[in-house]
Order: sequence, then structure tokens, then C-alpha cells
Amino acid sequence: MIKRQLKEIVKKEMLIMLRDKQTILLLFFMPLALIFFMTLAYKGVYADKIYEKQIPTVIENESKTPKANLLEQKIQSNKLIKRVELPPSFDKDRIFEQGKAQVLVIIPKGFEEGTKPVEIYFDPVFDTGYKVAVRSLMTSLTVEVVMSIENIDAVVASLITEKTKKDMDVPSPIQLAVPAYAIFAMFFIAIPMSIGFLKEKNNGTLQRLFTYSVSSNAIALGKIIPYYIINIIQFVLMLFVGVFIAPYILNTPFQTGTHVWHLIPITLVVAAATTGFGVLIATLAKTLEQTSTLAATGAILMGVLGGIMVPYFVMSHTMQKLAMISPIYWAHQSYLDVFLRNAELSTILPKLAILLFFALACFYIAGRRVKWM
Amino acid sequence: MKALEISGISFSYHSPAEKLTSGGIEYALHNFSMSVEQGKIHALLGPNGAGKTTLMKIITGVLRGYSGEVFVLGNKMPDNTALTCIGCAPQAISLYMPLTALENLHFFGVMANLSDEQINERSDYVLAQTGLTDHAKKLVSTYSGGMQRRLNLAVALLHSPKLLLLDEPTVGVDPQSRHHIYETLKILNASGMTVLLSTHIMEEAARLCSSVTLLDRGEIIFDGLMSAIDNLERFFLEKTGRGLRDD
Repeated sequence: MIKRQLKEIVKKEMLIMLRDKQTILLLFFMPLALIFFMTLAYKGVYADKIYEKQIPTVIENESKTPKANLLEQKIQSNKLIKRVELPPSFDKDRIFEQGKAQVLVIIPKGFEEGTKPVEIYFDPVFDTGYKVAVRSLMTSLTVEVVMSIENIDAVVASLITEKTKKDMDVPSPIQLAVPAYAIFAMFFIAIPMSIGFLKEKNNGTLQRLFTYSVSSNAIALGKIIPYYIINIIQFVLMLFVGVFIAPYILNTPFQTGTHVWHLIPITLVVAAATTGFGVLIATLAKTLEQTSTLAATGAILMGVLGGIMVPYFVMSHTMQKLAMISPIYWAHQSYLDVFLRNAELSTILPKLAILLFFALACFYIAGRRVKWM
Repeated sequence: MKALEISGISFSYHSPAEKLTSGGIEYALHNFSMSVEQGKIHALLGPNGAGKTTLMKIITGVLRGYSGEVFVLGNKMPDNTALTCIGCAPQAISLYMPLTALENLHFFGVMANLSDEQINERSDYVLAQTGLTDHAKKLVSTYSGGMQRRLNLAVALLHSPKLLLLDEPTVGVDPQSRHHIYETLKILNASGMTVLLSTHIMEEAARLCSSVTLLDRGEIIFDGLMSAIDNLERFFLEKTGRGLRDD
């Protein structure tokens, strides 16, 4: 009897959810769009080589010696550099104002004797990664010219070589974006979940349910199970798109790692955490406006802290410490353990334990606070 | 055996701690007793905040923590067996708007533990009774206010209750739908169903009900036959006063 009632409540919740176009957009299309756009946006940041970008650079050769000319030639012919002509009213202090150049290189007289160094100026808003790349490039080229080395990269290659473990190549941005925005969207389940609960409270359908011999446990479970299932479907769909569709559209590979089955326990636990968050919001909010605000603000804040909005490795040391209070951080790191680090389950389990604790805490508080009428 | 028997019910929405700090108990219902004979339509009248909806919630077992006793068809409430004998149409349209009428009926049918065959058979019957057969597969959100109100009643009738509780069943509906609801209630009553009708429409109570309970501020102020009252609206105002109620 209870099983049949529970099944019917689950079916009813599913029908209501799937007939709401806004919910479908929020839960499925928003993360898909984010995955595509953020992958494109971060393509350069996550890559191991600077590519698909040429840095507009002004080269001022004040020396005009053969070595200075050779250095000028080497700089302007490098793939990373796009030489731009000096503006007519050249003022090196104001060169970046119009946004036409991001780097200024001055080759002074006497640079080859070491009396005056090559000067590099950067646009103040220039990305740190590119700064490091340009600095490194200028160092290599200057050393080549000054020490008359044909190709310093070849010399260095015989001394240092970068290796990665088998199946652990450098991550593509999509490998970070897929779990990140899947988790983010899973936390957004709190919005339809809490709105649905409040609507039923306000229009009296919940009260009507209690005039039948239905237990509150069946009603609670019936409201939780569909959202838990939808959360799992969300992740599976995002993973499917990440593995089979996005690589062809974005020309970016996706590796699932060698322990792909570890995704099952992770997704089950992450879905429990996200559903728990939804239940908590449903019991905390008193109005429909409050549900949206609390759920969206909560999810976005956890996303910012957890390394979804701003990549974890870009964060300051303090923020990286703070990230640990966000369940999204633990969820994201668990997925990255599988996709990028090929971690054993024993490595992932402590993270899952934290997520499970978060889920249980949410359910416990919600259970204490719930007011059915 | 009476359809409904209530004796000495007292209920307060304040928690025990609030009662202690406020220094006094504000009752939604206080030492309230009434009974309804089987096969009658009984009116429950009172101004806003009188305690009518609270009483309905206590009868259906939605509210607990009261003192006193409630018996439905001889069963002391709360009781799961007795609950299956009660049909309740709340004041609010308590339906799932994104579902069709048939989906709503199937859902509440399962909640009432009816078999699928019973649900199909009874759905056809209650939809016909409420004039919604042609709209059974439409989403409730597309219904007019009157149609929603009729479906609200249809859901309450689905499991063939012996006692029907109606909380302002005609509020906000057009005269046609209201007339249809009245006719439906008369037919149901003629078949032996007991109805407890809470309403603010005096004409409705006078037209349909054979007995009446008048309550105010949680206490009973009249309980008797409708035939004993000459003009119900005037009687109501005399008993409850003409001052506005803002609580």
C-alpha cells in the first residue's frame, strides 16, 4: 500500500517537474550552455601551451647592430608574437591606453655586452600566464642571440624533458568544466524542489494529502526521490555531452580516466548532497521569493568558493583554504580524482564522507524544521 | 450512530512555551461540542477567524494536539479507517495545476487506496457528476475558476465518502457553477451522504442545510435546526455582531 502511494507521489512529482519548461531550462540547458561557453573561455588558461593566440607586441630596436637586428627578427617571427607598429606619438608610458598593444620590447644599445638589459613592458591587465610565457620567450631568444646558440630549446630538451603518466595527459578545459557545471546545476535542483514544496503548502494540496491515510515519511520520500533521480540524470547527460558531443564541436578531448566506475559512488553521494541542500532550502524558505533567492545565492556562493566560477588553482592561498567549506569543492575534486588523477577509491572516499556528512546534516536540520502545514 | 460527534474540543495554535510566556492561552477552539446526524446537510457558520477551518482540520486529522474527542461514524479520531469514510474539499483549490483532471483523480485515488479499476470507474462517475467529463484530459491550469472548484469537489467524492466536509465550496465561482454544485450536493445527500458545509453565504446554508452550528471566537453560540431560524443573515449578525472582523 505504502509502496504504491510512494510510487504515485514520485510519478506526480516527475510529471510536474518535466512539464515545467523553466525547470528543464534551468536544470539541463543552463549547465550545457555553461559547459560549452566556459570551455571556450578557459581554453587558453587550462592548456599546457600558449596557442591560438598571438600577443600584439611593439618592438623598439634602439641598437640596430647585427645582433640586435637578429633578436628583433627572432622575436617578430615567433608564433606567439604579433608585431604591431609603433604608434605615431610613441610614449612608452601610455602605449597600452588604446589597447592595440599588450607588450612593449625595447632592445637598447649595448644589450649584447650586458651593459643594458632588454626591457619588457606589459599591459597592466595582461594575464599572468601569458606574462610568464613572454618573459620566458624573451629570455630564451636573448640568450640565443647573445651566446650565439642556434636553438636553445633543443639544448634544453636534452637536459630537461616533461613526462606525464600513461592516460594522464594534460587536462583539457572541458574535463574541468563538465563536472564543475554538472555539480553546479545539480545544486540548482533546490529551486524547483523548494518552490514545489511551498506551492503545495500554500495551495492546500499537502494538507489534502494528510486527510488520506498517507504517512509523512511516504510524502517526504516521494518528494525527495524524483529530484535525486533527476540529479543523477543531469550528471549522466553532462558526461555524455562531454565525452561524445563536445569534443567534436569544441575540438577539445575528454578523458574519463582509468577508474570510470568510481563515478557511480561519487555521483550517488553528490546527488544526496544536492538533494539534501534542496530539502534544507525547502524547509528554511517561507515564501516563493525566498526559495529562489536562498537556493540561487547558496549555489552560486558554494560555486564561487568551490572553484567552479574561479578555477581553484587561480585562487589565493586563503581562498583555497576557504574552498574547503564548500561541498562543491569536495564534489569537484572527487570527479577530478577520477578524470585527471586516476585515483583509487580509497583516495576519494574521505571526500565522499565529507559530502555524505553535509547531506545528512541538511536532511537532519530539514527534518527538525519541516512544517507540513 | 451519528456521522460526526465532537465533544469538548479545545485547541490552540500557540506552542506550550508561548502559552507560558504570553500568560494566557488564546484558543482557536474552546470546549467545543457539536454533532451531525447521518444523512443530513449541516451548516457550519461563523465570521472570519471563528474556528471553522481549524475544526475541519481537526476532524480530518490534519491538526493534532487538541483536547477532547472527535468521533466519525463511531470511530475515535485520528483513525485511518475513519479517514477513508471522509471526503474533504478544502477552501483553497487543492489540486495539481500541471496535471490533468484524470491525473489528479488517479493520484488522489491511489492516496485513498482505491484499486486502478475503482479509480477509473469512480473518476468517470465524479467527472460526470461535476460536469467535467469533456475536460478530463485537459490540464487543470487551463480550467476556469468554476471548473477548478468543481474538480476540487470531484476529488473529495472520488472514494465514495460517507461524510463530506466542504470548506466554502462555492467561493469565487459563477452562478452557473454554484448552481451545479448545489444540485450535486442535493443528489449526493439524497443517496445518504452526510455533508458538513462551512460557508459565508447565508443563502447557500439556508437553501441546502437542515441544521446549523454557529460559532464565534472558537466557541459555540448556536446549535439547532435551520427551520428554527426565520432569517439566517439577520440571525447571524445578531449573534456575532455587526462590527468588522480584522483578525
